[in-house]
Amino acid sequence: MSRRWRDAPLAVAFLAPSLAVLGAFVLYPLGRAMWLGHQRCGATGGNCQSNGWDQYIDVFRSDEFQQAFSVTVRFALLTVPVGLALGIGLAVLADKHLRGMGFFRTVFSSTVATSVAVASLMWFFLLNPSVGVLADWIGGVAKDPGLLRDESTALWAVAVSSIWANLGFTFIVVTAGLQSIPADLYESAYVDGAGGWMRFSNVTIPMLGPTLLFAGVVLTSRAFQSYGEFDLLTGGGPNGSTTSLTYLVYGNNSIIKNNDGLQAAVAVLLFLVLLVLSVLQIRGLERRVHYGN
Amino acid sequence: MATSTQPHGWRLAGRYALLIGVAVLVLFPIWVMVVGAFKPGNKVLQDPLLPTSVTLDTLRQAWRDGNLGRSLVNSTVVALLVTVAQVVTSVLSAYAFAFLKFPGRTFVFGVFLATLLVPFEATVVVNRETIQDLGWLNSFQGLAVPFLATAFGTFLVRQVFLQLPKDLREAARMDGLGHLGFLREVAVPLARPTLGALALFGFLSSWNQYLWPTVISTDDDWDTVQSGLRTLSQAQIDKPNLVIAGTVIVALPIFLILLVFQRQLVRGLTAGAVKG
Amino acid sequence: MTTMRIPPAARTANASRSARRRATSAVAVIGCLVLAACGSGKSILEAGNEVRPTTTPPTTVPGQTTVPTAPPTTEPRPIDSLPSCDMSALDAAAADGPVELLFWHGMSNELGRELERIADEYNASQDRVEVRLEFQGGYEQTIDKYLQSNTDNRPDLVQMPEYTVQLMVDTQSNVPVQACMDDAGYDASGILPSALGAYATESIQWAMPFNVSNPVLYFNKKVFRDAGLDPEAPPLTLAELAEYGRTIQATGAASYGVALDSAPDGGGGWFLEQWLAKEGEFYSDNANGRSAPSTRVLFDGPTGVELLTGLHDVVANGGGVYVGENPGGTDAFLKLADTSAPAAMTIATSAALGAVLQFVAGGIIQGIGVEDLGVAPMPSPSGAPGTLIGGASLWITAGRGDAKAAAAFEFVQHLVSPEIQSQWAAATGYVPVNAGSVDLEPLRTVYTADPRFKVAYDQVAQTPDEPTSNGPVLGPLREVRVTAAGAMAQILNGADPATALADAATLANSLIADYNARRDNAG
Repeated sequence: MSRRWRDAPLAVAFLAPSLAVLGAFVLYPLGRAMWLGHQRCGATGGNCQSNGWDQYIDVFRSDEFQQAFSVTVRFALLTVPVGLALGIGLAVLADKHLRGMGFFRTVFSSTVATSVAVASLMWFFLLNPSVGVLADWIGGVAKDPGLLRDESTALWAVAVSSIWANLGFTFIVVTAGLQSIPADLYESAYVDGAGGWMRFSNVTIPMLGPTLLFAGVVLTSRAFQSYGEFDLLTGGGPNGSTTSLTYLVYGNNSIIKNNDGLQAAVAVLLFLVLLVLSVLQIRGLERRVHYGN
Repeated sequence: MATSTQPHGWRLAGRYALLIGVAVLVLFPIWVMVVGAFKPGNKVLQDPLLPTSVTLDTLRQAWRDGNLGRSLVNSTVVALLVTVAQVVTSVLSAYAFAFLKFPGRTFVFGVFLATLLVPFEATVVVNRETIQDLGWLNSFQGLAVPFLATAFGTFLVRQVFLQLPKDLREAARMDGLGHLGFLREVAVPLARPTLGALALFGFLSSWNQYLWPTVISTDDDWDTVQSGLRTLSQAQIDKPNLVIAGTVIVALPIFLILLVFQRQLVRGLTAGAVKG
Repeated sequence: MTTMRIPPAARTANASRSARRRATSAVAVIGCLVLAACGSGKSILEAGNEVRPTTTPPTTVPGQTTVPTAPPTTEPRPIDSLPSCDMSALDAAAADGPVELLFWHGMSNELGRELERIADEYNASQDRVEVRLEFQGGYEQTIDKYLQSNTDNRPDLVQMPEYTVQLMVDTQSNVPVQACMDDAGYDASGILPSALGAYATESIQWAMPFNVSNPVLYFNKKVFRDAGLDPEAPPLTLAELAEYGRTIQATGAASYGVALDSAPDGGGGWFLEQWLAKEGEFYSDNANGRSAPSTRVLFDGPTGVELLTGLHDVVANGGGVYVGENPGGTDAFLKLADTSAPAAMTIATSAALGAVLQFVAGGIIQGIGVEDLGVAPMPSPSGAPGTLIGGASLWITAGRGDAKAAAAFEFVQHLVSPEIQSQWAAATGYVPVNAGSVDLEPLRTVYTADPRFKVAYDQVAQTPDEPTSNGPVLGPLREVRVTAAGAMAQILNGADPATALADAATLANSLIADYNARRDNAG
């Protein structure tokens, strides 16, 4: 057997469990959705008939898709960089052997325990214009008509809730990354005369490369696939300003509810967008990532 | 990791001040919720920051209305199933990608990564049909099976495996260890902190699973805590406090787990950092 | 792991290489976004269509009176073509033990508990039918799960909200309740005609109404008194609503008069249907879709424009406040509890009355007790009485065996009997569908002791017997409501009513045309 194929049987055995599950529950539905996306079905699910593959293009260029796409992209642009920056900030802040640091680390990671439902409901009540605590404090738009009810602020408000909820995850991942930076790198830099900020930007950030790439990809993919926040906080409103692509596919107030073919088309297009984005992210950034070894 | 200079004096005080400030900001929503959960219904809108009146009634009623007892059992069983399965499948597939050579490896890895990008909403309806055809609509398997493997876990463990020094593999081979032996004796033990993190994330993501349980259970004995919470949130207008109380109950077990595992996690991460 | 110091020279070289790479990626991303920005300006509903499906809706010119099209004479749907019902099958099956009846419902909390109590009592009182309740989480989830399940996984009896009539008919998965009524010789004369009529289309009674609600005006009597208004004379017309609001604002008794929302199931969608019906107008053509499937909406006609202009005036000059799209359902009511800028009135479903009273009893609104909460009929442009039927109804599933269908109808008869409706209405605040319930305990005492509970019932009782009193039957009714709600939101925010309604109507008509086209796909 050639060397290339020697490991193949073992590889198949090792990969089989994952591939079976992912194949059946991710790839197969994706394939079905791709096929369904060029069809139109009756509202009750049956009667599917082809409507031409140009349905995909028309869906992509349609008003509702464009608006949802814009909402999704803006949401990601809001949540990912801010989330990463805060995660790094908190991780660096807590990265000392000080008394009680364990407590602070627990606090900073605590939001990872909140689910989408929990976090969204928390912020829903805090921001409620009539009875919410934060609404009272912030005043102005927050009271009338409410941060989640005003077209220009709703997406920001949902973003804040999402950033808060993801803070724990980013903190944990970046902390793990920080822990694996060898101390002697810092010492060499210190010996070279580099100050705190210089050490941060020339040692910490580059060495955090793989970690940040990982966290960034995960946060971006989460941002693009956010659903629960929009469902619970705003129901896609006001005036569609928080209707993300996932809400367009599955939300209660979506205009393509009970329209299986169009829902599938939007979902597949979302997948393709994410694919392109991730390839760009990984290609564009991985070269800068220092794996060591 | 730690620098050789420790802050002292004013800088120390400043750091602590910053830490406390940030901690307050992070905890603020949680604090408001916990305070609200213990308030009786009519007082929930007064003094939201201070526990001026304390009662267990709200929590009890939220427990009842949201069927949270049974949901907690369901969530726990499913989360444990998913956690164990995800660790096992991720380790196996990560090993294949990190240490085994076979044609098409890059392509298959790309396919794995691509699955991370498939929006869940796209798969929900078809998966429901599959589960329905298998007769698993109201069952543990139905709740768990779509999540028994994850590309996220594979990616994470592969990163760790890739960072293991090449000489370890050589040494193992000279000791007569084949792939399975290397996996068991060397790779897994060295990756333990990451596996711990993966297990924790797996448990959390299963516990926090929002959409899937509401879609496949038609029998409310098979609700999970998140679907119970969603039902509670659609309660009548007189009960915002019930939703708050339900939120606290649902988040509590995870906080406790985090509390316990946080120390292990930090210890594991600090001790396990591979240093030459 | 060997550690590497990054020599300064390499660092700079790396940096410029990666900067170039970063720039390339940025350009690529921006390029994609620019491409994406080449929108077509068309709705997603028209994607892939070569020809616009079926009827091209006529464009309504604002100001032109819409002559309601005379309902085309079509044959009523023959009931023989639909699944049949055989009540004797239950007798046969019950000989071997009780027939299990699976009943999906969307009633949460107290409503669900009352339903469970009724079911438990029923099970204990006889041994032919054993009812098993399954709460699905709410109306929307019930609909979704029902549509996504195959016959084997569907329930025997399901509670579906009032906006799903055409959708359910199109699933072709039900035994029309009329088949069972005919077979059992059931006398439906006790059921409120408008309630029955809401669930009849194409001359067939498809479902049995079960829980009925309609919008009512909730108001703070103390604020009325403080403003010098008579709490026993609440506003009946939109003009009065505005006048009361101005008075309240002027005297400072509260910050606002009425709080309006634009939720699809509230102020933006459902209430629009109610208001048009009160003015004696059809919401959609072909007699609201009941004599033949509708092809377009009519809410962009002069009545609709006048109505929405009136509502806009209430918010702009009538002391009213617009609270947004109300996704959680609580915003409009919580506005009355706002301590810094409270409103004095709001319009909401009568089904919430019990819950609201408990809320108020808890002291959530500063300074008022239960007796200060007033309930009045829903104000309308001309003050006309009457209302559309809201709530939900019971549908019997076909294909699960004659015994199950018969058992389902047996339980349905029990649920709409005068005694049970009396208990149900008394406990929940829903309107009893059986006219005889009003004179039975416990409802009789509830209505005498607290007349607020009777307001919703009176609204139904006073509904004129007109075709317009039965609401629209549209396949995509929920999506059309969302569209109408969008228009309402824009108008209450200051947009021009005629334009907003026209745009919404265009979209709604596309929804209807698309739905009809997809339904008729295969044949």
